[in-house]
Amino acid sequence: MPLHDTSYQHWQGVHLGLWSRRWVIARNGLTACLQIKGMRQLATVCWLAGLIMTAMLFFIGQLLVADSVVVQWVSTLNPNLQTFARLLTAWLEQHPEISVRTTQNVLFYYFSIDLMPFSIFALGMAIPLLVTRDLASNAIIIYASKAVSRGDYLLGKFATAFGLIALTWLGPVCAAWFMGNLLAPDWRFFWHSRAALAHVLLYGLCSMSFLSLLALGVSALSTKEKATPTYWFLWWVLGGVLGPIAIQTRPWLQHLSFNYNLDQIALAVFRLGTDLKTAQENVPVFGEMLRNIQPQTMAALNTPALGGASVALLLMLGLAAGTIARRVKPE
Amino acid sequence: MASQFVIQTQGLSKVYGHQRALDGVTLQVAPGAIGLLGPNGAGKTTLLKCLLQLQPITSGSARVLGREVGREGREIRKRVGYTPEEDCHIPGMAGCEYVTYCAQLCGLPFQAARQRAHEMLDFVGMGQERYRKADTYSTGMKQRMKLAQAIVHDPEIVFLDEPTNGLDPKGQAQILELIASLSRTYGITVVMSSHLLHNVERICEQIIIIARGRLLVHDSLENLKASRRGAAEVVLAGRPQDLQAACARRQWPCELLPNGHLRVEHQAGSLNPLLQLLAESKIVPLEIIPSPNALEETFVQALEMSHAAS
Repeated sequence: MPLHDTSYQHWQGVHLGLWSRRWVIARNGLTACLQIKGMRQLATVCWLAGLIMTAMLFFIGQLLVADSVVVQWVSTLNPNLQTFARLLTAWLEQHPEISVRTTQNVLFYYFSIDLMPFSIFALGMAIPLLVTRDLASNAIIIYASKAVSRGDYLLGKFATAFGLIALTWLGPVCAAWFMGNLLAPDWRFFWHSRAALAHVLLYGLCSMSFLSLLALGVSALSTKEKATPTYWFLWWVLGGVLGPIAIQTRPWLQHLSFNYNLDQIALAVFRLGTDLKTAQENVPVFGEMLRNIQPQTMAALNTPALGGASVALLLMLGLAAGTIARRVKPE
Repeated sequence: MASQFVIQTQGLSKVYGHQRALDGVTLQVAPGAIGLLGPNGAGKTTLLKCLLQLQPITSGSARVLGREVGREGREIRKRVGYTPEEDCHIPGMAGCEYVTYCAQLCGLPFQAARQRAHEMLDFVGMGQERYRKADTYSTGMKQRMKLAQAIVHDPEIVFLDEPTNGLDPKGQAQILELIASLSRTYGITVVMSSHLLHNVERICEQIIIIARGRLLVHDSLENLKASRRGAAEVVLAGRPQDLQAACARRQWPCELLPNGHLRVEHQAGSLNPLLQLLAESKIVPLEIIPSPNALEETFVQALEMSHAAS
C-alpha cells in the first residue's frame, strides 16, 4: 500500500516558454549522445588536441621573445637556431600584426581542418539518435502530440547536432585560441590574432550549420538504426576517395564530397594565400622558404573553388531539407 | 454557445491519395467520457490525429477547446493529452525519465515535471519498474506509461486510441477504471477510441460511431439504450425453466445464453412488465441487466445501414 496520496492531482504552475521546450529536446539529445562511451572518448581526444594546440601556441609565442627559456633551450640544441629565433623576435617587433596574425591564421586553419573529421565521426555515431530512432520507435508521434511543432522538434534536433560539433570542434579550437593567447608573452597577441579567431568562428559556424542539417537529413533517410550511420560514413569515405581519383579526369566529381567542399570554404575564409604572400614580402627568410612551395599548391591556396563548393553544398542542403520534409512531415 | 462543446467539427474531411479516410464529419461534443466506435479502418485514429493537427485536414474545419485546429495546434496540444495506439516510447529511456521528458515538452519546469511524472506513475499504478528502461516493459506497463505521459501536464481533454489493446482482462479492467476516474472524479474529458464495445459501454456517457469515414451515430449511451428497450438479461439463482415457461405464457421470446443468463424480450419501454411477471411467478432474480446489447445492436445496425447506403 502506498504511503502517499496516489490520486490524481491537478497542476497549476506556470508553463515555460517555447525556447525552453526546444532546449529540452536539444539537451536530451546531447545527453543521449554522451551516454555512448565512444562519443565521450572522442570528445576527450578533441579536447586533448586543443591542449596540444595551446602548448604549440605557447611554444611559438616564447620563440618570439628574446632570451626566453624556450629560445635558450633551442640554442643548446643548435646554435643556428638561436639566430633563427632572433630573426623571429625582430620580426615580431617590426611586424607584430603579421607575425602573430599569419602564424595563428595558418595554425588555426590546419587545426580546424584536422579536427573536423573527429566531428564528422561524432556525427556519424550520433545520427541514429537524431531522427532515425524517433521514426523507428514512433516517438515522433509523442513529440507531435505535445506542445511543440515539428519545426520546434527539428530545431531541437538541429541544436543537438550543432552542440555535438561545438563540443568536438569549435569548443577545443576556441579554447586553444584563448588559452594560447593567455599564455603568450604579450597581451597584444589577443588583438593581433583576432583575425584568426574571426576566421575560425565564421568557418566553424557555417560548417557546423551545414553539417548539422546534413546529419539531420541523413538521419531521416531510414528507420533502421544501422542504415543511417552507414550512409553517412559511406558518403564521407567515398567522397574522400573519389576526389583524388577524379581530380585529373572529372574535377567536378570532387564536389560530391562534402568534406572537399568544406575545405574549399575554409581556404576562402582563412585566405592563406594572402597571408603567405604578405609574409613572403615582409620577411626575407620566409620569402626564401615559401618559394619552395609548388606553384599548383599556391594556386590552390589563392583560388579555392568557392563557387563550385557553394553550389554543391547548397544542393546537398536542398537534398537534406527535402528528405526531412518528406520523412518528418510538417504540420 | 461555442464554449459548451469541447470538440466541434464542420464537414471535416481527410483524404489520403484516393482514399477518403474522413468524409464530412460534423460533430459537437460536450465534455464527459466519449466513446469513439467503429470497425478497423473506420477513421477513428484519423479523426483523433486531425483534431490534434498530427494530420492536415483536407477540407472542413475543427475546433478543440474553442481553438481552431490548423491555426492554434500548439496551444491545443498544450491542453490536450494523447495516447497513440502503437508503442511510442523513446528507446533507452526509463519510464520515469520518459514521462518527465514528456512533461517538460509540455512546458513544465524540470523539478515540477519530475515530481508530476512520479505522481502520475503512482496514479497509473506503476511501481519500481518505472526505473527500468521502457524497452523491457510488458504491454500492460507500456499502456500505463502511455496513459501517464498523456495526463502528466494536467490536460483538459485526453484522446485515448485503443488504450486496452494487448491487455489481459484484469489489466483492461484496471486501465478502464483509471480512465473512468479521470472523467468522473477529476473532470477531464476523455475521448476513447476503441472497437471493443463493452469497454466503451463500461465507462462512456456519449457514443460516436463512425464507419468508412462517416459519422453514423452521435448520442448519449442513455438515449441509445432507451431506443433499444424491450429486452433484458436476467441472472437467476434457481432453475431457468420456470422463467422460460412464464415467458412462454406471455409469448415473450426467451433464450438461455451460454453464460447461464436468460435473455427476455419483454417488448416494453420499461422493466415493469418483466418485474411483474417475476413477482407473479415468484421468481427471485439475482440481477437484471436492461437493454444488454443496445450498443452492439446500434453499432451493427449503423454499420449495416452504412453498408447498404454505400
